[in-house]
Amino acid sequence: MHRVAFSKADTAKFISHLDLMRTFQRSFLRAGISIKHTEGFNPHAFVSIPLPLSVGFSSACEVLECQVLNLPLEEVPARLNAALPAGITVHRCYEGVRPVKELCYVNYIVTMEYEAGAPFGAESAIRDLLARECLVMEKHSKKAKSGKVEVDLIPLIHRATVEERRDTIALDLILRAQNPGLNPELVVEAIRTHCPDAAPDFVSFHRRAVLDENLQNWE
Amino acid sequence: MNRTLEHILPRVQKPARYTGGEYNAVVKDRRGVDVRYALCFPDTYEIGMSNLGMRILYGVMNEMEGVWCERVFAPWLDMEEEMRREGIPLYGLESGDAIADFDFIGFSLGYELAYTNVLNLLDLAGLPLRSEERYGLSPLVVAGGTCAYNPEPLAPFVDLFVLGEGEEVSQEVIHLYRKAREECWSKEEFLSAAADIPGIYVPSLYQASWREDGTLAAMTPLEGAPAVVTKRIVQDFDHSYFPVRTIVPSTEIVHDRVMLELFRGCIRGCRFCQAGYAYRPVRSRDPEILLRQGIESCRDSGYQEMTLSSLSTSDYRPLERLCDGLLEWCEPNKVSLSLPSLRADNFSLGLMERVQHVRKSGLTFAPEAGTQRLRDAINKNVTEEGLLRSCRTAFSGGWSSVKLYFMLGLPTETDEDVLGIADLAEKVYQAWKETTPNPKRGVTITVSTAWFVPKPHTAFQWEGQISMEEYLRRVKLLREHMKGRSIKYNWHDSQTSFLEAVFARGDRRVAQVIEQAWRQGAKFDAWSEGFDFDRWMAAFQTCGVDPAFYANRTRDKDEVFPWDVTSVGVSRQFLWRERERAYEAVITPDCRAGCSGCGANQLCPGGKCDA
Repeated sequence: MHRVAFSKADTAKFISHLDLMRTFQRSFLRAGISIKHTEGFNPHAFVSIPLPLSVGFSSACEVLECQVLNLPLEEVPARLNAALPAGITVHRCYEGVRPVKELCYVNYIVTMEYEAGAPFGAESAIRDLLARECLVMEKHSKKAKSGKVEVDLIPLIHRATVEERRDTIALDLILRAQNPGLNPELVVEAIRTHCPDAAPDFVSFHRRAVLDENLQNWE
Repeated sequence: MNRTLEHILPRVQKPARYTGGEYNAVVKDRRGVDVRYALCFPDTYEIGMSNLGMRILYGVMNEMEGVWCERVFAPWLDMEEEMRREGIPLYGLESGDAIADFDFIGFSLGYELAYTNVLNLLDLAGLPLRSEERYGLSPLVVAGGTCAYNPEPLAPFVDLFVLGEGEEVSQEVIHLYRKAREECWSKEEFLSAAADIPGIYVPSLYQASWREDGTLAAMTPLEGAPAVVTKRIVQDFDHSYFPVRTIVPSTEIVHDRVMLELFRGCIRGCRFCQAGYAYRPVRSRDPEILLRQGIESCRDSGYQEMTLSSLSTSDYRPLERLCDGLLEWCEPNKVSLSLPSLRADNFSLGLMERVQHVRKSGLTFAPEAGTQRLRDAINKNVTEEGLLRSCRTAFSGGWSSVKLYFMLGLPTETDEDVLGIADLAEKVYQAWKETTPNPKRGVTITVSTAWFVPKPHTAFQWEGQISMEEYLRRVKLLREHMKGRSIKYNWHDSQTSFLEAVFARGDRRVAQVIEQAWRQGAKFDAWSEGFDFDRWMAAFQTCGVDPAFYANRTRDKDEVFPWDVTSVGVSRQFLWRERERAYEAVITPDCRAGCSGCGANQLCPGGKCDA
């Protein structure tokens, strides 16, 4: 299995997961890169993205899995970059060794913006909130009959650093990646619910790194 | 990306429609550009990006030195609300710059119900709606496309209309604009000079006057403007621009595939069909060129689907040769080929099987009318026998789903014709039973009826649309006679078709109704989310305009039409003759069987047309 490491920024942030898969399939064709296809009546390119990114998030550490058939891997990034839409940049293409299940944590930078400056006491309120013993939030679930399920965020937050700047508060979060994972939007929702005075006017999410159990980069 | 925009995008549906940045989107350096052009499509991104004309004009203008053409689509309701709240003016997708500062704002008009979106886009741009209220030379508001063949309902809002194919005339307008700017012309001076360019209609240079009975008395040209503006065509279709390198959207659009344009025009002469008359004369593209364009387009875009586009694909003479060539490349490259617009009468097994080889898609036929008499009257030269033969061929080849398209309310239609649709559907079902290799799988026959809308520049331009009550009665009659679980019946909504009939043949007085309805909130009228019939009826009443006068009235032979100032090259005498033949149910052979003298050949050098 080969892996393509790429970042997603600027206008490309708004390309959804499904559209991104389609965009990559077409980009491989444009770039003249043959990749393995599924067998069957309507063969399609065999590509997957282990941890889909929410629409609107930027990322420096996306990974796409595929099987390149016709090129040395080091030629892949330049060729793909010429064929991809603005905002998606491929950094590396390599033989994937570590299984996806070893991908344990994701590091997010969550920037909460306040038009009138960060409210007094917001930073410590958020810090206290994230230091609680338990923090239960409702989240949507396709499986549950009610369409909702309760989750305790605390065990899913490995580390949280809160830092106030002039008109933003930045959260540097290391969250569980999978089984179950935690979407940082839920952390912001918890802040809105429990610290209404610290509710931001706008939030941006950036995925900075994907990590293994020992907090080393997972590749 | 603009910060405010970045803040609102996470809140709207399908934000990728509003960002630009797609593969092959043209980004130029502002410093090297002296003409900015906003090419606007008054509907959503998904629909506008599916329009081949947009892609052609985008390519043509961006190939011009110093010209930067950008795309603008109608933001969906949620996005519009956010833009208005945050004070973001309408912007070009490529630069993000406000289009109010551009030199040209050009609209593609393909559907009458998008007219309110034209006004809404002007307003979102921050511009006054009416031409007379926009004083400066720029931005100039331009409009073209099929609806421009009756420009009058939008006359007060648009500075100039481009009639016909825009590849060449758009460039001529830009050249003239540069001269005007250099020599500091006023907008009036520019428009007056633009009216001398063949194919340009400047509505402010025509004075409409009416008789007491409400019909037009005259459209009087002022300042030496031509009495009739004839549409432009591209003469050398082989060498005209085709967008081989074209934008590949990063989000799904309606026609998300390579489109190859086989030919323009149509040899058939269906009497109801505006495209069939308005795009004449026929000009085809060489199959070798098409083959090259098809392969290059797939390679450049990464699309794995290709479709052949024209008004009647099976009338392309070298179709088999072209398909052979394309399939030879498509099959090993896993690209599927689809052939829309096949006529029911010459649907060939060979062609079908070869295309099916890559991927099998649904099958659609448009007999348009239920009886032979009515099909003859509208000159849709499809016979029941031909249709059933095609269906048998398809069913025995394993197809199990057929769509049949009809119109209700065609001139001379009787209840017998209406019921003929149910009979025909039943016969198609019997044909399936007789020929299918797998009867257990069942069949789906979908019958759809639209309400006939008389259009300008057709043989039926004199006709009244039947009343809404009568249309609904015919729908009910047909519905009661549609039997069998395998036959599904859909009918088109009546209210939008009625409005379409008003706008299609409206004059300048209709413009105020469009403006009034827009002021009351009308937009996206082609969408159920936007359309409100009562709002429209109220607008007609407020303006004192009777919609039935435009939709339902049968015109006299010599009545002055609002669109008489435009010519598609087909003479009014010819259309009247065709109307008379319709009432006698006499068919007119297609252009290849013999020239009927429509007049469109005069648009070709030496009067020679390539039917």
